[in-house]
Amino acid sequence: MSSTTAVFRVEWRKLAAQPRLRAGFAVLLIAPWLFIALVLHQDRLPVETLYGRYLKDSGFATPLVVLVFSTQWIFPLIASLISGDVFSSEDAHGTWKTVLTRSVSRGEMFWGKVAAAFTATVAAVVVLGTSATLAGVALVGSQPLVNVGGVLVPARSALGHVALSWLVVLPPVLAFAALAIAVSILTRSSVLGVLVPVVIGLVMQMYVFLNAWDTVRHVLLNSPMNAWRGLFDTPAYTDPLERGLLVALAYLAASIAISLIAFHRRDITGG
Amino acid sequence: MDGEPAVRARGLTKRYGDVTAVDAMELDVPVGVAFGLLGPNGAGKTTFMRMLFGLVRPDAGSVEVFGRNVADHGVAALAPVAGFVESPRFYPYLSGRANLEVLARLDQPYGDGPDIDLVLETVDLTDRQRSRVREYSYGMVQRLGVAAALLRNPQLLVVDEPTNGLDPAGIRDMRELIARLAGSGITVLLSSHNMLEVEQVCDRVAIMRRGGIAFDGSITDLRAMADDVGYRLTTEDDRRALELCEHTPGLHRLELGLDGLRFEASQSAVEDLTRRLGAAGIGTRELAARTTALETLFFRLTESRSEVLM
Repeated sequence: MSSTTAVFRVEWRKLAAQPRLRAGFAVLLIAPWLFIALVLHQDRLPVETLYGRYLKDSGFATPLVVLVFSTQWIFPLIASLISGDVFSSEDAHGTWKTVLTRSVSRGEMFWGKVAAAFTATVAAVVVLGTSATLAGVALVGSQPLVNVGGVLVPARSALGHVALSWLVVLPPVLAFAALAIAVSILTRSSVLGVLVPVVIGLVMQMYVFLNAWDTVRHVLLNSPMNAWRGLFDTPAYTDPLERGLLVALAYLAASIAISLIAFHRRDITGG
Repeated sequence: MDGEPAVRARGLTKRYGDVTAVDAMELDVPVGVAFGLLGPNGAGKTTFMRMLFGLVRPDAGSVEVFGRNVADHGVAALAPVAGFVESPRFYPYLSGRANLEVLARLDQPYGDGPDIDLVLETVDLTDRQRSRVREYSYGMVQRLGVAAALLRNPQLLVVDEPTNGLDPAGIRDMRELIARLAGSGITVLLSSHNMLEVEQVCDRVAIMRRGGIAFDGSITDLRAMADDVGYRLTTEDDRRALELCEHTPGLHRLELGLDGLRFEASQSAVEDLTRRLGAAGIGTRELAARTTALETLFFRLTESRSEVLM
């Protein structure tokens, strides 16, 4: 087993042992069920939200409405809480000097932690998406879904589209995770590692609401977060998906490069 | 590796802004000895140790472990080394045993160390191994730090102020443990500001002052230099006693404080003083050695501006 794999497994063990993380995953698991249960017990629907008006008509609308909510601030928060903490918790506990005096290099430590942070972040998104889909199908049913273009999509196809929609938000979510890692390493602060990416996400969201220059809007992480909507039109369009993937990869690569350089150059003086 | 010292520092320098924490440090720690690194707080001991562990990058010079440069060889150079800098730190939400399991996994490329049960038994933590570290006392964390170091089966054990914050029983146990490890053939580098501790455990000592080495030699050499002891004297009339002391040969650093007279003197000078006090009719209430000979020398070496002895 390589040292990077050893770091990865250690990080997973540490993450699994933290009560707050277990509680967070429990919330992701339960929240969609509570949400759709409450919607079914009231007359009004969140019609202003994409697919909100179909929540009682098809179970596949539930994961899509949850996805719309999540892209606004839940995904940046999940990415920050998990990925930012993987690095900054070592500062908080003063344990860099403990782990960096074992038999793993800084490079191995960095990549092992990044892999663990990304895997845990993806796991959180998968848990939320799966839970939302199951909640919708179980409590509403697996009826066909009306897409953005007004065409009725059969259940099997709708399920595939839902899965694909959740899949395509992973690159921008990981870009937020990389941003959180960079902020954590640069500031050495758990609080800022969580707060800064969430604030960045909200500022980007506000810019989108302003409906200002398109050029700027296209290079924000909101664009790839919302690019899945093209899959639910007839005919489906994928230009925003392709552009969004490039934007997310650019954020990811830049954040990881900055993090790696800062981590290698850092003097461990605390703890 | 044969013939190389366990640790060799050459021109080792570290600056933090305008402050030079370690200044062109030259040091050899021979293999198989218990080596004490003494110095007051801020002398540069911890910064040196952080550079030894590769946690801090030197601005100049090098540090080698068994002949391998830490900056060039990284974790490979540090394979025979274990220990802790300042107080050991662990994950508070994991048990003591789980912390050791995590660290053992990170040692796997070189993982031929003793098993966890054995090191827990060595540091007397077997009974509390399942408790979370956040429930440990300070002394237990220190002992867990030694256990974590022993997991690596080190040839060089580096410990920084291992008795800091311990109660008297904890201090005694920790010193016995380190002495036992030193006696087992491991090279021990013990950093401390406590002369007595180093005197009890170590064969050789280096004294740091303002980032450099003020003394480097054996404890025997140091003892040979330390002829004057610090004393405190209280009498029925300290002012008259002060006048008498000023005219008594062999008394240095004489000062009158609220708790009596303080001075440094050799044994013969003190005997002479007691005779003079009796002859002058000044009743002695208390005459006590306030520092050992080595402590007095330590203060002289670390507080003087220019003295460097090697």
